[in-house]
This record gives sequence, structure tokens and C-alpha cells, in this order.
Amino acid sequence: MNAPFFKYGLFGDEISLVVAFAIGIGFGFFLERAGFGRARLLAAQFYFRDLRVLKVMFTAIITAMVGLFFLSRLGLVDLSLVYLTPTFVLPQAIGGLILGVGFVVGGYCPGTSCVSAATGRIDGMVYLAGMIGGLLGFAEIYPRIEHLVKATPMGQVTLAQQFNLPYGLLVFAVVLMAVGAFIAAEWAERKIGGKVPDTDSLLAPARPLAPVRRFAIVLVSLGLVAAFAGNPFRGAFARVDTKQLALDAGTKSDHVSVTQLADWIIEGRSDFVLVDVREPAEFASYHIPGARNVPLAELTPDFVARNERIVVCSEGGIHAAQAWFLLRSLGFPAVYLLFGGLEEWKDTVLYPAAPPASAPARDHIEFAKRAAVAKYFGGAPQTGGAPMPASTPALPRLTPPVPAAAPAGVPGAKPKKKKEGC
Amino acid sequence: MSSTPDDSLLEKPHMNPYWAGFGLGLVLLTSFVVMGRGLGASGAFTTAVATAVHSVAPAHATGNAFYAEYLGDGSVSPLKDWLVFEVLGVFVGGFLSGALGNRLRFTIEKGPRISNPARLALAAAGGALMGVGAKLALGCTSGQALSGGALLNLGSWIFMMCVFGGAYAFAWFLRRQWL
Repeated sequence: MNAPFFKYGLFGDEISLVVAFAIGIGFGFFLERAGFGRARLLAAQFYFRDLRVLKVMFTAIITAMVGLFFLSRLGLVDLSLVYLTPTFVLPQAIGGLILGVGFVVGGYCPGTSCVSAATGRIDGMVYLAGMIGGLLGFAEIYPRIEHLVKATPMGQVTLAQQFNLPYGLLVFAVVLMAVGAFIAAEWAERKIGGKVPDTDSLLAPARPLAPVRRFAIVLVSLGLVAAFAGNPFRGAFARVDTKQLALDAGTKSDHVSVTQLADWIIEGRSDFVLVDVREPAEFASYHIPGARNVPLAELTPDFVARNERIVVCSEGGIHAAQAWFLLRSLGFPAVYLLFGGLEEWKDTVLYPAAPPASAPARDHIEFAKRAAVAKYFGGAPQTGGAPMPASTPALPRLTPPVPAAAPAGVPGAKPKKKKEGC
Repeated sequence: MSSTPDDSLLEKPHMNPYWAGFGLGLVLLTSFVVMGRGLGASGAFTTAVATAVHSVAPAHATGNAFYAEYLGDGSVSPLKDWLVFEVLGVFVGGFLSGALGNRLRFTIEKGPRISNPARLALAAAGGALMGVGAKLALGCTSGQALSGGALLNLGSWIFMMCVFGGAYAFAWFLRRQWL
């Protein structure tokens, strides 16, 4: 199994919206089931009357955490491909405090207010309107507080990395902490809030091995196993389908010619990513317009979305071929080689040689087209019937300027839309 | 259980919180496995606000770094966004669950000691605070606390502690609204 499915390109953006809608229905359904459409029930959390916010939230967290740990550990999910919101300590702490105050003032958080409004609660609808006002206000002050929003960056970091502890051990610790918090919460509800215990609870179950108690035991046991189960992240070893790779390489179905690529760029196609695996210095001296520079050693499993069509190029083709194999091993399904590399690009696209005068008219027409393409990319056709001059003509210093008539969308230059976070 | 003909019209009790949490956790796990991302909420509203501002005052929206981030490159509508569709689903799912539990009511959720206008004013104020807080923190209780919590994300756990801290610290001042 190659999961996350979307990141492996099992379906595209359009289908992902259908998936989003379906997942949203599940999310909204359980929020409402939990009673989270009602502000008073949510706010009861902060007066120890009913601690269901804590119970629902932490049960959901540990369920998903334990599930994801084992799916990753068994190699079914590549955990490094699950998006992790980057950490900015100061803004997240201040934002959390403001959000906490907003929670007890308004009675909802954004997700629960949707459910509240959907079930007819007028306060939920007003809350949503207030949130839109808050967002409008935030946008206006954003230019002045941008430095604060981006203060104390720590990148994408887990607690395991930060404290240098085994991931599984932290999973176990969080499960224990959550179950301990549930027991403390039930105790507090009865002592401080005077609440009659739920029919199925941890402290006062209908019978000793009530379902909720069994559920807690299962989670704690799985947590204990996780503590000793090792690293859930995939190592550097990969399994490859050698037959498929051999077939793709042997039939040359993985090749893209330089003239094809030139046409794609001129057409403004944006359905592929051109990756130049040479060193940054070589890249800086010349590169194909729109190319992204990712040196061979920096090709990581998440350097680009899995469902992208990737064209790799290098000076000759050896490094590109190695990158092709590496990317296919990492599970990228659509990887192509720029056949002949930049050498071929220069010879054929930038400095095409004119055919001899005696050549058929067809060749001359073809050359005229290639001469136009060469000029587009800032090169110069080699006329005069001579074969390629012994000394390669001086290359343009940097990427030749793209003419004004050129379509704006150059592959790779396309700004990727938005972050994946909330 | 006593069963009278009117039983079907009575509001059904909420689900046991542990089982609701288990269901929610499975939805979250599905999102991780299928999409490689967690759940969210506030981001969808930001996209909607950015799109609305862009249609009214395009220059203002594209000139603002905050809006620009949510508008994308203009090749597709910013509303064709994962979180926007997910939040549409949240409305539908909430409505379905409410309908099945006979809990659909046009009403205002509040304690007995506060007037309706005061409660609505506080709801709007709370929403506004939430909008600001969620954008500062790069996420709300769904995207940060729930999803990030399950991924052992450092920032999410800092955020979560601060949410509970802020709410408990202010709870006393707002007791008239809820108790």
C-alpha cells in the first residue's frame, strides 16, 4: 500500500475535493454527535461541569496517533509525507491564548461553530460572522505584524525530534497522559461540577469491564507496544519493481526529447516540473527557463508532490538517469528523462545547425521553425551549411530573457497555491 | 426505555464523549491516510474572505500579503480548495447528525443569567478573537490542536496548552454567560 494516497498520485485535485467533502461530513457528524454544536455544553469544560471537550479531543488525538503510528511502522503509510504545520513558538503561544479567550467568550471554536450554525443555533451564526470580521481585521493589520507572525520559527518539528526521544515512546506517554486526564476529568466532574457520571464511563462503569474501559485498555496496550516498536518513519531502504523499471527504461517510454520540451515551454504547459539536478553554480551559469534546481543529493521523498509529472535533466544525462532511478525508487510514478541533457538542448534547441543547401525543402522548413525556437530561448541558429563549429559558441550568461509574447506560465515558476495547514 | 408515540420527536441525548472521540479520531486517521493532511476549519473561512475581498477590491486583495497567500496564482478559483470543500462537508455532516438526533432548533445557546443580545454580542466578539488567534497560530482547534496533536507536532502542543490556559484564565469573568 502506498499511502497517503493523494501524495502518491492515486487521484488528482478534482477528486481530492470530493474526498474533502466526504471527510468533512464525517468530521461534522461526530462533532454534532459529541454535543459540540452547543456552546453551553462546550463552555462547561471551563467550569468543570462537563469535560467532554477534553474527552472527545484527546480520544480523537490518541486514536489517530496510535493508528497512524502502526500504519507507518508496518510500512503502509509514509509518515514523512503527512503534512506537519511548521512551528513558530511565539505566535502559536500568543495565538493559542487569544483563541482560548475567544473560546470561552464566544463558546465555540471555528469547526464547532459550523456545526452549531448548521443545527440552527443563532449564536453559532453570529459567531461565524464575528470570525469573518476578525479575519478582515487581521488582514488589515497583517503588514504591520508580519514580523510577529513569523517570529521564532523552528520549522516542521515533532516533539520526538525536539526532545530527541523515540517517537513510539512519546505515543505511549501521550496515551497514558490522556487516559490519566480522563480519569481526573471524571473525578472533577463529580466532585466540583456535581455531575452524575455517564452510563459508560471509566470511573463508574455499569460493569467492571465496560466497553469504555476495554477501549482504554486496548489503547494503553497499543501504546506500550508502540514504545518498543521502533521508528515509524521509513528508512533509506526502498523496494522497487525491477521489471517495471526495466520495461520503462528499455522501451524509452521515459524519454522526453529536447525539442518536445522546448515546445512544452513555448506552449506554456504547466502540467510538469522541470528539475535540474546539476550543482547550483552550474545552474546559475545557465538553465532552461522554468527549471528548478535540486542537486542530486537533495532529492528527498517530499521535494515535490508525488502526483507531479517530473522531467529531470543534467549536463549529459548520466546524473539525470541516476535521479530517474532514485525518484522511481522513492515512489514517484511519473518521472521522465531529458534525453541528451543540456548538451543536446544547446546543440539542438539553442544552436541548431542549418541543413546543407542541397537538402530537401522539408529540412529547410523544419530548420526555419527550429531557428525561431532558438531565438525564443535566446540562442542563435548556426547557418552557412557548415557542421557544428568545433568550438561551441559562447553560451548566454544567464537564462535568456523570455520574450514578451511568451506565455506567463512557465513550468516550475508557478507559485504553489497555499499551505496545507488549517 | 419507556416508549411513547412522541419519542421520535424528543431530542436524543448526545453520544458518549469517548465514542464520539473515537469516531472523530477515525475520520482524522482517514484524512491522514487518504490525503496526507489533517482536518481544518479556519483556513476555509480565510479563503472565503480573501476571495470576497478580491471580487470587491482586486487591487487591495492582491496587494495584501495575507490575502495573496490564500488567492493562489489565479489559474484556478481559490474556492476550489480542499479546506473549503471539507468545511462545506462539516455543515452537511453537522446538519445530518442534528436531524437524526432531533436536535435542529433555531435557538440561542446560553446560561439563564444572560440576555439574548448580550450573548450574541459575546458570540461575535469571541468569533473575532478566534479569527485573529487562529491566523496568528497558523490554525485553530481543528488544524492545530486535533491534527497537529495526533502528529506530535511541537507547535501544536504549545498551542493546545495555551488554548486551555487562556480559556481557564478567563472563564471566571464569563461565568454569568454560561452558568
